[in-house]
Amino acid sequence: MDILTQQLFNGLTIGSVYSLVALGLTLVYGILHIPNFAHGALYMLGAYVTLTSMLLWNFNYWLAIAISIVVVGLLGVLMERLVFNPLKNSPPIHDKIAAIGILLFLEALAQLVWGADYRTMSTPYGEVVNVFGTTLTMQRVLINVGAVIVMILLYFFLKKTFMGSTIIAMAQNRKGAHLVGINTNKVAMLTFLISGGLAAIAASLSAPINLVFPGMGHLVILKAFVIIILGGMGSVPGAILGGYILGFTESLGATYISNDYKDVIAFILLIIILSFKPKGLFSKEGF
Amino acid sequence: MLKLAGLSVKYGSFTAIEKVDIEVNEGELVVLLGANGAGKSTVFKAISGIEKWSDGDILFNGSSIKKKSPDRIVKAGIVQCAEGRELFGGMTVYENLVMGAYVHRRKKAQVKKSLGHVYDLFPILQEKKDSAAGALSGGQQQMLAIGRSLMSQPKLLLLDEPSIGLAPLIVEQMFEVIQKINEEGTTVLLAEQNANAALKIADRGYVFESGSIVVEGSSNELFTNDSVRKAYIGA
Repeated sequence: MDILTQQLFNGLTIGSVYSLVALGLTLVYGILHIPNFAHGALYMLGAYVTLTSMLLWNFNYWLAIAISIVVVGLLGVLMERLVFNPLKNSPPIHDKIAAIGILLFLEALAQLVWGADYRTMSTPYGEVVNVFGTTLTMQRVLINVGAVIVMILLYFFLKKTFMGSTIIAMAQNRKGAHLVGINTNKVAMLTFLISGGLAAIAASLSAPINLVFPGMGHLVILKAFVIIILGGMGSVPGAILGGYILGFTESLGATYISNDYKDVIAFILLIIILSFKPKGLFSKEGF
Repeated sequence: MLKLAGLSVKYGSFTAIEKVDIEVNEGELVVLLGANGAGKSTVFKAISGIEKWSDGDILFNGSSIKKKSPDRIVKAGIVQCAEGRELFGGMTVYENLVMGAYVHRRKKAQVKKSLGHVYDLFPILQEKKDSAAGALSGGQQQMLAIGRSLMSQPKLLLLDEPSIGLAPLIVEQMFEVIQKINEEGTTVLLAEQNANAALKIADRGYVFESGSIVVEGSSNELFTNDSVRKAYIGA
């Protein structure tokens, strides 16, 4: 029983990180129809920016995260301006090629700047707490609480603000958005800003319990794609639910099946869910 | 108010419209007649800034709109209600209408007034204001599309085939409302295949055939023109 609650909590933690990454990916896909493979590189840079701000300038953890959100968010906007916007009238395959190009470029850049070493990020929340007989570190609690707060804020932004509803409008009908006078370039930039910010938050929260290295985004982005495919491409609730489903399945699978198969489970889950619901759990109308 | 001077639009090597001259004066209701694929929608796309043109120019109140982006054209007062309606299907009727007032989003009182005006024109929209736009009937969706266009208080309203796919009774109502909108002071450019109904409410008209204007004149002239009657009115 003890091990079950522990693993459920771990699943929740992993799921929180996956959901945040998948949310950024699904927003960009839903609104601009770009499968942004470079999203994993944004995640990796999010961790490096936080780490560097803490080590180099001795900023505290929260300030470092805030800087990381801004830097990576703006990097996302830059990506949209310099790469994806000029390609918007090209065939869709060009977006995909460009995204992979950005991914390779940013990874090589990270290796050049920070080296290929594995680094650890320290956290002021390293203490261990006991809840209902389960041992948890504060950092893991923080990941869960932080992710939920970010998701609630995102929900209110999208549903309750005018700026947020322009994003939804463009996701539902791009031409319609043009016709009512929405500046679709601005919406595209805003979407990339949010997407980059979410990646930075996810990476900064999870880096203290993982390692920071140039290739850290690989597995995360692969799984984020699995999540948005099984959740329904472009669906926000799908990304959240899919993230948690994958988190739980992985942590329970690692315990009760085999730790070696942990990363295969995501793909098995994908095959099973798509066999029954070929369009994913939520179709895009659920945005 | 609006002047198309020698406008040509090409899709690759295919010329969709060639050297089109159209003039719309303030307060008029002008109709573009023509079969599917004659180039009516292309003209509208060009005016709305969604399609770039190769030759000629479009002048709105005397100045070219060539360099204006679609959102700035809406701000300038040209609003299109497109053929496919292009509603936000997952949003409610109310949300669609509010989104229609996007360019006036900071003037709350004005948005409220426009909303009241649209509900007066189409009472059914008020009744259904909390339904999803995608769940409405075809006629209601068309009303919503027109209502959404009016929310931005256009000086010039472009209506692309508002009668397409609607029951005859609804078409009649639709044209009554269009006439009313025009009488209230909005200049209207209407693309239609239903020449009979359109010419009844229009001041003037142009007839399109494979990308060029073949006949133009007042509604009466077009109504009595033999080739127009044969091709579009069927009598």
